[in-house]
Amino acid sequence: MKDIVIIGGGAGGLAAALEAFDPSLDIMLVEREKHLGGILNQCIHNGFGLHVFDEELTGPEYAERFIQAFHDKKIPCLMETTILEIRKENDVFLIEASNKQDGLFTIKSKSIVLSSGCYERTRGQIQLPGERPKGIMPAGSAQRYLNIEGYLVGKDVFVLGSGDIGLIMARRMKLEGANVLGVAEIMPYSNGLTRNIVQCLDDYDIPLYLSHTVTDIVGKDCLESITISEVDADFKPIKGSEKQFDVDTLLLSVGLIPDTMVLESMPIALHPKTKGPTVDQTYQTSVEGLFVCGNALHVHDLVDYVTDESKRAGQFAKLFVQKPFKKPPSPIAIEANQNIHYVMPSSINPSVDLDTIHCAYRVTTKAEVGEVTLAQGDHIIKTQKVRFMAPAEMEHLTFTLNDLINHKDPITLTMEVIK
Amino acid sequence: MYDFTIIGGGVIGTLIARELSRYEGKVLLVDKENDLGNHATLANSAIIHSGHDPKPGTLKAKLAVEGNALYDQLAKDLDIPLLRTGAYVVAHDDEEINVLNDLIDRAKANSVNDYALLDGDTARKADPNISKTIKKVLSLPSTKVTYPWEIALAAMENALANGAEYRLNYEVKAITQTATHFILENQNGEKLTTHAIINAAGTFADLVAKMVESNVEYTITPRRGEYFVLDKQVKGFIKHILYPVPSNKGKGVLLVPQVHGNILLGPTSNFQDARETVGNHASDLEQIREDANRLADGIPYDLIIRTFAGLRATSTHDDFYIQASKTVKNFYHVAGIDSPGLTAAPAIARYVIDHLLQPKHTLTKKTHFNPIRKKPSVFHTLDKQSQHDLMKQNPLYGHIVCKCERISEAEIIDHINRPCGSSTIKGVKKRARAGSGLCQGGYCESDVLRIISEVKKIDKTRIDYYALNTPILREETKVKK
Ligand SMILES: Cc1cc2nc3c(=O)[nH]c(=O)nc-3n(C[C@H](O)[C@H](O)[C@H](O)COP(=O)(O)OP(=O)(O)OC[C@H]3O[C@@H](n4cnc5c(N)ncnc54)[C@H](O)[C@@H]3O)c2cc1C
Ligand SMILES: Cc1cc2nc3c(=O)[nH]c(=O)nc-3n(C[C@H](O)[C@H](O)[C@H](O)COP(=O)(O)OP(=O)(O)OC[C@H]3O[C@@H](n4cnc5c(N)ncnc54)[C@H](O)[C@@H]3O)c2cc1C
Repeated sequence: MKDIVIIGGGAGGLAAALEAFDPSLDIMLVEREKHLGGILNQCIHNGFGLHVFDEELTGPEYAERFIQAFHDKKIPCLMETTILEIRKENDVFLIEASNKQDGLFTIKSKSIVLSSGCYERTRGQIQLPGERPKGIMPAGSAQRYLNIEGYLVGKDVFVLGSGDIGLIMARRMKLEGANVLGVAEIMPYSNGLTRNIVQCLDDYDIPLYLSHTVTDIVGKDCLESITISEVDADFKPIKGSEKQFDVDTLLLSVGLIPDTMVLESMPIALHPKTKGPTVDQTYQTSVEGLFVCGNALHVHDLVDYVTDESKRAGQFAKLFVQKPFKKPPSPIAIEANQNIHYVMPSSINPSVDLDTIHCAYRVTTKAEVGEVTLAQGDHIIKTQKVRFMAPAEMEHLTFTLNDLINHKDPITLTMEVIK
Repeated sequence: MYDFTIIGGGVIGTLIARELSRYEGKVLLVDKENDLGNHATLANSAIIHSGHDPKPGTLKAKLAVEGNALYDQLAKDLDIPLLRTGAYVVAHDDEEINVLNDLIDRAKANSVNDYALLDGDTARKADPNISKTIKKVLSLPSTKVTYPWEIALAAMENALANGAEYRLNYEVKAITQTATHFILENQNGEKLTTHAIINAAGTFADLVAKMVESNVEYTITPRRGEYFVLDKQVKGFIKHILYPVPSNKGKGVLLVPQVHGNILLGPTSNFQDARETVGNHASDLEQIREDANRLADGIPYDLIIRTFAGLRATSTHDDFYIQASKTVKNFYHVAGIDSPGLTAAPAIARYVIDHLLQPKHTLTKKTHFNPIRKKPSVFHTLDKQSQHDLMKQNPLYGHIVCKCERISEAEIIDHINRPCGSSTIKGVKKRARAGSGLCQGGYCESDVLRIISEVKKIDKTRIDYYALNTPILREETKVKK
C-alpha cells in the first residue's frame, strides 16, 4: 500500500511529488508518456519561470530543473503507464493502471494527488457549422506535431480563438514558412496573455479579428476555405460581414478543459465554471485523501502558478498521510460574486489551520484598475486595487483563518471596475 | 469476369455481398471511397426500429419488421453489438395521443404486436428524465440500437472469408452492356467485367442506374439529417430511445442511447441537391435543441463532443425501390433505401436473393459457407484471465493509446491488419474507437499515426486522414531540402 500516488509528471505532478517526498513515506509518481515534463516539452518558446526563477526559460528548460530535482531525490516513478480509473473502497484508493510490462493492474494507496493536466476543446464541443474535412485541429495538437515530431500540418493557416496556444502557434507556423492569414476571436477581447498578442501577432503582422467567428467550412476531403463573420452582442453572426479565406488548416484555440477522466466513477462534483473538481484550501476534493492540482484542477496561463499551487497540494497530501485531517461537516464557502468568474478554492476547511490561505481567481471583465474585495457578510476581510485585470489573466490573493469573523458564513469575492 | 458486382459498400451492399457469398460464383463489391460504410451507413441514428411506423403494405413495412427479427441472429453470427433499449413515442396532449392511437393501428397492421400504451408517470418511473409535460407514451420494446458501420465492416469481412472480393476507390463512372455481360469503368479508366450488377449506391443510385438504363423510374433527392453526440459520461441519462410523434417531416428529432454509452440528439430533416456534401448548419443545430427539449428535461448540452450529418437517399418512389431493371437484363436496383434502411438491411439482402436473383440465376449453395465472424478483442472489456492470456501473447495490449475509450496499441494494430482493416486515422477510429471520446483524438491521433506508419512501413507524411491524399502531416521540417 502506497502512502501517496501522484498521477501525472508535468509541472504540477513534479512539484507535488517534490514537496510530498519524505524518506518515511512510500510515494510514487505515474506518468503516461516516455518523458517527464508534460505539456512543457512541446512549449519550446520562452516565457516560463519569470515568477519562480526570475528568469525567462523555455518550457523544456523549466521542466528540466524539476526533473533533475526529482531524480536527485530518487523518487520512485512508473513511466509509460496510464491510469485508467480511480475507485475508493474501505478508505483505500484502488488505482487501475496499464502498461506494457504488467498489463492492467491495480495500485493501492492511502491518498492521491491528481495532476493529469488538461485537454483541448474540440470543434465538436463548440459546434462549428460547415463540412468536416481534414485540416481542422486543436492548436496544441499541431504544436505537438511541429515541436515534438518535426512535421508541419499545413501551409495556409487560420486560427480560431485567441487562447495562448493559438497565438503561439500562429507565430510558430509563420516562422516555419506557413502563411498565417489571421486569428478570429468571438469575444470583444482576446483570451490570451497581452504579451502573446504583442509578440506573436503584432510583431508578425498577423491580423486579429475580435468579435468574429467561423460561420462556414468548405471542403469534402481536405479543408479548402473558411468563412468568418462578425458577431453582435448576443454572439449572433451579422449578415453581410462575411470574409472568406482559402486555407488548408484551421487551428482551434478555443479553450482547455481539466482532464479528470480518471475520476469518472468517483462521486465528485465538477465546478460549473472551471469544469474541474471543487476543492478546499488544502486542494482536497469532496473525497477524503484525493487532492487535485495544476491544469487538472483549473486551467492556468502561467506554469509558475501551477508550480506554486502544486507544491501546496503536495504538502497537504503529505500532512494528510502523516496526521490525517478530517473533512468538516460544513466547510466555509467562498463565492464568486460581482465581476468574478470563479475563485479557487471554493471552500475552506477550518479544521486545518495554517499561516496563509491562497486563492486564485479570474475576473469576467477587463479593468485597467479594479478594486477587489474579500468579505464575509458586511465584514471586509481584505480589499486591494489591482491594475490591468483581464479574464485571461489569473490573479491571486491571500488571507488567514484569523481574518474571519466566524467559521460558518460564506466568504465572497467581488471586483469593482475603477477605471 | 465476375458473376455479380455490387456497387456501393454501405450496409446494404455489404450485407448483399455476404448473402451472395453463401452461393457459388464470383462476387465483387466496389465503392468509390477509401473505406466501407462511409455515407448513410456512417451517419444515421443506429436504430433497429420495431417496424411500427411505415405505411402498411409497403416494402418498408414488411422488410423493417423482418429485419428487426433477423438482427438477433445477425448479431450473433457477426459478433456485432445490440443494445436492447426499447423505445417510447411520446405524446404531450390529446392531439398527439390520437397520433399514438393511429400508430398502434399501424403497428398491428404491420404485425408489430409487442407494444403498450403507458401513462407519463409510468414511463418516468422507468426513465426519470423524460419531460414532465409528457402525458402518454407508446412503448415499443423490440426497438434496439446497433453500431451501423461495424455491420458493414463485419459483413464484408465475413463475405471475404467466404470468397467474395471488394475494391475501394473504385468509382463507377460508366457502364456498358454487351450481349453477354457488363463492362464497368472507373475514374482512372480501369475496366471490370461482370454478368450482373446490383446497384446499392445510396444517394447516387439513380445516377448509377442512368449509366445503363434510359428511363429510370425514380430520382433521388438527398434529405439531410444533423446530429449532436453527447459524451459517454451521459450514459444512463435516458434508457429508452425517445421519439416525438411523427409528422409529415418524418420521425423527427430523437434521443438515442448508443451502444458505447453516448447519446445521439437528432436528426433534422431538410432536402438538399448536393449528393454528398454533408455540412452542419447553425439553423439545424438550433432546431435539434429546441425539439429535443420536448423529449427530456435537463439535457446536458455541455457534454456535446461532436456534430455530424448524414444524407437519406429519399426517392420519388415513396418506398424502397428493390426491383430487377425492366429494360436492362441482369441489372438490379436496390435504391431509395432511406430510413428504415438500416433496420431492413438483413431482410433486404435476403429479399434481393430470394425475389430478384434466385428466379433469374442458378444459385447453388456452397457446402462450406461459414456464417461466423469473430470481432477483434476489446481488451478492457475482457475478464482478468483473458486479459492475462492476451498480455502474455502481446504486451502491447498494456499500452493504452486512447485514454478516453481505453484502446490499446495491440487492438489498433489488429484493426489495421485484419481483413477489411484500414490504415487511415478515421478508419482506425471507426473500427477501434480510438479518437471517439471526449478529446476527439487530441491525445491519441499522433500515436495512432505512428502505429500506422510502423505497421505499414510508410512515411508519416503519407498517412491519410481518411480519403486518398489527405495526409495530416504536410511536410517534415527537420530535413534539408
Ligand atoms: C501550449 C501551451 C503554452 C503555454 N505557454 C506558457 C508560457 O508561455 N508561459 C508559462 O508560464 N506557461 C505557459 N503555459 C502553461 C503551463 O505550461 C501549463 O499550464 C503547465 O505546464 C501545466 O502543468 P500540469 O502539470 O498541470 O499539466 P501537464 O503538463 O499537462 O501534465 C500532465 C501530465 O499528466 C500525464 N497524464 C495525464 N493523464 C494521465 C493518466 N491518466 N495516467 C498517467 N499520466 C497521465 C500527462 O502525460 C502529462 O505528462 C502553456 C501551456 C500550454 C498548453
Ligand atoms: C440521418 C439519417 C438517419 C437514419 N436513421 C436510421 C435509423 O435509425 N434506422 C434505420 O433503420 N435507418 C436509418 N437511416 C437509414 C439508413 O442509414 C440507410 O438506409 C442505410 O445506411 C443505407 O445504406 P446503403 O448501403 O444503401 O447506403 P450508403 O451507406 O450511403 O452506401 C452507398 C455507397 O455507395 C457508394 N457509391 C455511390 N456511388 C458510387 C459509384 N458511382 N461507384 C462506387 N460506389 C459508389 C458510396 O460511396 C457509398 O459508400 C438513416 C439515414 C440517415 C441519413
